[in-house]
Amino acid sequence: MTGVTVRNLELERGEFRLGPIDLAMEGGTATILLGPSGAGKTTLLRAIAGFLGVREGSIEVDGVPVDREPPERRGFGFVPPSLGLFPHRRVARNVSYPLEIAGASDASAQARRWMERFDLVPLAHRYPHELSSGQQQRVAMARALAAHPRFLLWDEPLSALDVESRDVLLRLVRELIEREGLPLLLVTHDPTTAFSLGSRLVVLDEGRIRFQGRPEELARGPLNRFTARFLGYENLYAPHELAAASDLPLGAALARAAGPGGLVIPAEALRWSAERWGGDASARVRSVRWSSAAWSIDLELGSLRLHVVGAHDAPSVRPGAVVGVGIDLSKVKPLESSSGPAG
Amino acid sequence: MGPFVGAVLSASLILLFVLPLVVLFLYVGWSGFVQEATNDGFLTSIRFTLLASGIAVGLGLLTGVPLGYLLARYRFRGRSFVESAVLLPVVIPHLVVGIALLLLFAPDGPVGRFMAGLGLPVFDAIWGVVLVMLYVGASYVVLASQLAFRAVDPEVVDTARSLGASPGEAFATVTLPQSARGIATGALLMWARGVSEIGGFLILAYAIAPSPPWFGPPTAPASVYIYDLYQSSGGLEAAAAASCVLVLVALAIFLAVRLVDRAGLYTPRGGWLS
Repeated sequence: MTGVTVRNLELERGEFRLGPIDLAMEGGTATILLGPSGAGKTTLLRAIAGFLGVREGSIEVDGVPVDREPPERRGFGFVPPSLGLFPHRRVARNVSYPLEIAGASDASAQARRWMERFDLVPLAHRYPHELSSGQQQRVAMARALAAHPRFLLWDEPLSALDVESRDVLLRLVRELIEREGLPLLLVTHDPTTAFSLGSRLVVLDEGRIRFQGRPEELARGPLNRFTARFLGYENLYAPHELAAASDLPLGAALARAAGPGGLVIPAEALRWSAERWGGDASARVRSVRWSSAAWSIDLELGSLRLHVVGAHDAPSVRPGAVVGVGIDLSKVKPLESSSGPAG
Repeated sequence: MGPFVGAVLSASLILLFVLPLVVLFLYVGWSGFVQEATNDGFLTSIRFTLLASGIAVGLGLLTGVPLGYLLARYRFRGRSFVESAVLLPVVIPHLVVGIALLLLFAPDGPVGRFMAGLGLPVFDAIWGVVLVMLYVGASYVVLASQLAFRAVDPEVVDTARSLGASPGEAFATVTLPQSARGIATGALLMWARGVSEIGGFLILAYAIAPSPPWFGPPTAPASVYIYDLYQSSGGLEAAAAASCVLVLVALAIFLAVRLVDRAGLYTPRGGWLS
């Protein structure tokens, strides 16, 4: 089992400052790096991979510093968002590339074994542009693993996949990192990927770590706008939205319950009734939508928009109707400022 | 502009490109062509031109490809000056090029004497022809390689590094194969530009005294040879016949490059198969 430790890592890119970053990644586990656009996720991955110089700090593999090593000597399997497939090489020669570079005499045979694992043998003679997104992802992963890396750094490699292909690949990746005892640091925006793969979640914002812990700790702990959205909350309100609604029946109470980053009203805190007077306040129905298994209603409570979802008994209201709304204030969650203290 | 008008205008331009050559070949006829194609003096001139243009293209690749890479991949102080300097030969009249090069490389000047001392005389010598061809044509290699290198995704190169390739290996196995077609196009354009040059040769390398002697008998670049034929009394027929031979040599090289392309040495995405 390989362990990778990032200690006190800092770097500057123009106006952007990353760090200090401290991370510990154990072999056989996946660490998921989350954060809004511009948070520094890709910068951090590229710094660890050796493509960006760092101002401070160290990167260690099993206690041995590697931050002075060029990317090719670190043994880190880096997969960028574009996957980095070689357009001029067929699939077989993409997968065998690291083995050829290493001078392996059985490069083709080894590459074939990796292609078998990722079900790529029938595609061996195709060029990358002749493959679907899912097939390209598999080639990128097979090639990264064929290099016998000590650590995997993947930047949104599953972003373009349909649900079924993603789930198949997630299962495969989980099996592989466990079997090979490899640590994986993966950037994703997809909660399903994060929760099904991640032993540990790291939330990065404005270049600093805001949360680091197990997935369930993220859900239990203090939320900010990004983590609340990531966890699937929909009714999020910024302080200025709550201030503008303070003269509404529930507005003042909501404003009081809010944190510096605003407030989220979880589904379990929200109840509604088709009767106008069936709640603490009245709201107007903006839209009603049905899908095969669920329904959702968008309500207008003064200047606030509320989104209500349910799974049974399709509601018998139409857009324009006035309904009753109740909010259990003990269940609303205050939001921390996005640039609040590190968690 | 409707599609019909557009088609007529386009067709008229293509006609302008092709019709003069058709008239040229019709004017010369088969016997005139054979007579000039077997003329030892002209064949020597053709061989000499191919040799000089080959050396010039080699030097153009040696110097132009790194410069194209530099311009494609790096931001540095003075970059816009370098880009303007690369375009300079394209806008300067080539007689002026000849005169400027003559002044710099004059046989009795310090640079000319230095070159002669190295065994690379410039005035009325093959190195003068090479120098003019390099001056008027290397810009195409720089510009074409700059475009070709810029089209290579830097993330793909980074990925090669993370897979164990050193910077040199990543360049040789990832960047260069994907840029080779663009670079080859630049080299072909440089070669064509060099072979079709005349202004600079008239000033700097009009009559070639072979040096070293294995370069062959005294001769002239093919374009100058044809010009001399044309200037001689009643020389239009001979000049036209020699022109046909030169056109066919140029077309043969152009077709050879296309055939290599079609033979599958390139991938569908345009890089050399590696």
